[in-house]
Amino acid sequence: MLLERFNRGDDTAFDRIVTRYAAEVAALANRLLGWPQDVDDVVQDVFMAAFTGLRKFRGDCKLRTWLFTITINTCRRHRRRLGRLRSVPLEDAAPNLYLNEHAEMAAIDSETFARVRRAVRALPARYREVVVLRYLQGLETAEICRLLGISTNAMNVRLNRARKRLKEDLLELIEVTA
Amino acid sequence: MTEKQISELLRSADRAAGPPSFGRVSAHQIRRRLRKRRLLWGGPGLAVAAALVVLSLTLWNRDLGPKEVVVPPEQEKIASLETQVKQLQAQTQATLELVHDVLARERQTQRLDALEAELASIPDPVEELRKQTDRTAFTLLYRADRLYRELNETESAVEAYEQVIQLFPHNRWADVARARLLEIRKPLINNSKTEGDSKCKSQSV
Repeated sequence: MLLERFNRGDDTAFDRIVTRYAAEVAALANRLLGWPQDVDDVVQDVFMAAFTGLRKFRGDCKLRTWLFTITINTCRRHRRRLGRLRSVPLEDAAPNLYLNEHAEMAAIDSETFARVRRAVRALPARYREVVVLRYLQGLETAEICRLLGISTNAMNVRLNRARKRLKEDLLELIEVTA
Repeated sequence: MTEKQISELLRSADRAAGPPSFGRVSAHQIRRRLRKRRLLWGGPGLAVAAALVVLSLTLWNRDLGPKEVVVPPEQEKIASLETQVKQLQAQTQATLELVHDVLARERQTQRLDALEAELASIPDPVEELRKQTDRTAFTLLYRADRLYRELNETESAVEAYEQVIQLFPHNRWADVARARLLEIRKPLINNSKTEGDSKCKSQSV
């Protein structure tokens, strides 16, 4: 419906699409870029690309999936432009983590979460994308494979390797919280 | 560390980061931005494209115009370079021929010098003949001297001296032979003189 209205030249249809998906696009961009919080440029770029390409959208997949594909590509371009995400060393994390042995997950302080985010940020882009889509966006395997254009095996390999790295980086944290 | 633990940890970390901030996006706003982008990137691009079209049209018209052979400057350069290369090749050829000529003349001169030297090394036949004659005359005179002085064969010696004088009349050894003959004949003449005086004296007595 929205697409048909947009194709007829109804701008409000696009505004409706933006209102419906902007938060999700912004959240995905924020996670893929390593939580910079300000993702206004990326969101603008994503919806501008969507605006120019929406007439070519054939409806082979959900509009949300299509927007996520644009978001992933836009984030990749953005990362290439900045080229700084992977250079964030883990040693920059807070040196003294205060971990209460008896605390629950919710009790882990902000420094600990910051360390987790740094660990995700330090992952190579191909691993980080899989982790974000799987654990943070909660997408199914098929959808992730479609978004990234990879096979299920490739996705599983990437996910395993990403988990292994995260385990290595966050080992003491896991041991304490377990 | 299970997958669930990792998932929970990641989601908690994500929640703790808070929601991202982004400005309002609307179709109107995007249209404005696109228009601005077209002006920024499309304007000069269009101008360049138009300039290219005008340029190509101009060139096309020039091609279709009166059939003047318009040689592009690059081709002219290439042609002039080719001419220069040909001139240089001709000059090089002429110089090489000159060098060959000079070398040939030098070789000929050397050969002539060598021949002249060889010719100079050949003894003069006249001189050689004169030397041989002189040597033969001397040998004959020597043999005659031996007959006369060592073997006391005066008649044979006189014959040998006369032979030297006959064969080599202008040779210096012929003069020596004449002197020897005179030397041999002198006592004979003296003897004949004394004999003639005695005959005269006896007749007068």
